[in-house]
Amino acid sequence: MNRVKYFAAETWASLRKNIILAVAAIAVVAVSLGILGLVVMGWNMFTNMIKNAERKVGEVDLYLTDLTTTEELKAIEAFLASIPEVDAATIYFKSKDEALQEFKERFKDQPELWEYIDENPLPNSYELMTKDPKDVGVVVNRIKNDAPHPERIEDIKSASSAIEKLENIFDKFRQIGIVAVVALAVIAILLVSVTIQVAIFARRREIGIMKLVGATNWFIRWPFVIEGVFEGTVGSLVAILVVLSVKVWILDRLVESLQFLRLSFSAGLLAVLVPCILLGGVVIGALGSAYALGRFLEV
Amino acid sequence: MIRMRRVTKIYKGNVYALEDVTLDIEKGEFVFLVGPSGSGKTTFIKLLIKEEEPTSGQIYIADTNINQLRKWKVPYLRRKIGCVFQDFKLLPHKTVFQNVAYAMEVTGKSRRLIEQQVPEVLKLVGLGHKLDAFPDELSGGEQQRVAIARAFINRPPILLADEPTGNVDPSLGEGIVRLLEKINSTGTTVIVATHDKNIVDAFRKRVIALENGRIIRDQDRGVYGYE
Repeated sequence: MNRVKYFAAETWASLRKNIILAVAAIAVVAVSLGILGLVVMGWNMFTNMIKNAERKVGEVDLYLTDLTTTEELKAIEAFLASIPEVDAATIYFKSKDEALQEFKERFKDQPELWEYIDENPLPNSYELMTKDPKDVGVVVNRIKNDAPHPERIEDIKSASSAIEKLENIFDKFRQIGIVAVVALAVIAILLVSVTIQVAIFARRREIGIMKLVGATNWFIRWPFVIEGVFEGTVGSLVAILVVLSVKVWILDRLVESLQFLRLSFSAGLLAVLVPCILLGGVVIGALGSAYALGRFLEV
Repeated sequence: MIRMRRVTKIYKGNVYALEDVTLDIEKGEFVFLVGPSGSGKTTFIKLLIKEEEPTSGQIYIADTNINQLRKWKVPYLRRKIGCVFQDFKLLPHKTVFQNVAYAMEVTGKSRRLIEQQVPEVLKLVGLGHKLDAFPDELSGGEQQRVAIARAFINRPPILLADEPTGNVDPSLGEGIVRLLEKINSTGTTVIVATHDKNIVDAFRKRVIALENGRIIRDQDRGVYGYE
């Protein structure tokens, strides 16, 4: 207990002595972890949007008239499987009934849309994925030109190219985000280590005397480690605050007002993200002080 | 208590600080280590507290070969050796009490023990009335007494003093050594490195004289002997 009090007092005194540097270090930790949080949330929102989209990137749906016979279905299915760009394992026959079930499920909050239907208006369909999303156009053309029984094919739909482009943009966004987070984290570690170096320098007399009277190495190191971890932790708390406010005040409203985009957050995202940010702050602080101690404190 | 066997210390650039030093200092002895500046006195002390490593030779303290001492054990070696320096090495923003208490705090002693022992030892060195003074309010002699109190507070079996009278008014130097003698009388082995002729001659203790890193004389009840 005595020791805890001693370390806390030492750390506090040292932080106050070089408050400007400490604040700068805390700010950079907060910015790097804040950006990490925002990138993760943005990424999550976007992946969910893609996942919830009517058609996935690379998906082609083939709607059939109700007049199609079983033989014709087999012929069409065999043809689809023979297209080289199609991933044959993904070819899936969706019956009218299944389509209606799905429709009811999706609009279960708006029963007026389906309550009064007595005959199923939805068609049988084939769903398939291309091996490479960029071949969607090729596949659609092949089906249009070469499919058997073209009179039975009512419509062919594929994921909009807009989503594909969006995915590319978000991929870039994620890459830039990761690079920025890593770069900022490195800067944060260096800045924490600078504050610790300054603290070590400011206390070099005490350190010399501590060594002289036989203080153990860890007794000398602890206050500096605590100082670094404290800075990292405070920075991560600020980042968490920022991330939570951005979510509540901006992103949640975005999700609500842009419902047609089907944006959403995965359940439990924050339960993972918040502890990760906190851990990130502790790690940044610990690495910063470890670096400073390794280089500037010979015990 | 201290044994050195053929200890040599060569600094960078082939500077011989100590050369082939062999000696024994028994428990409870009082020894003056004398010699002009650059004769190797300070290196001698640095080797004992393992601030420097000998280039060759063996050093034993209380039958422990400190050459082989692991790094993490060095602090425990230093707890056995109190050190006093010419420049006192006191912390200017701490009071006399706090300076002495510091040596107990950093070795994890309890508050109760500190409150009890620090005033006792300060009384022993004659500063029982100046617990709350700051170092810059004290004379050189008084500051050195604080430093001695700090070196002695954890009752080390060995006390090393490197030019303890160097920054003290000449008329007060004798009092400092008198105090070290008092500490010696409690059973502590005391080694005083000095080039203060008057003091060495006044106390007539064992004198080990160094010149250019070699022992040139080791004499009981000796005198300074240099001109």
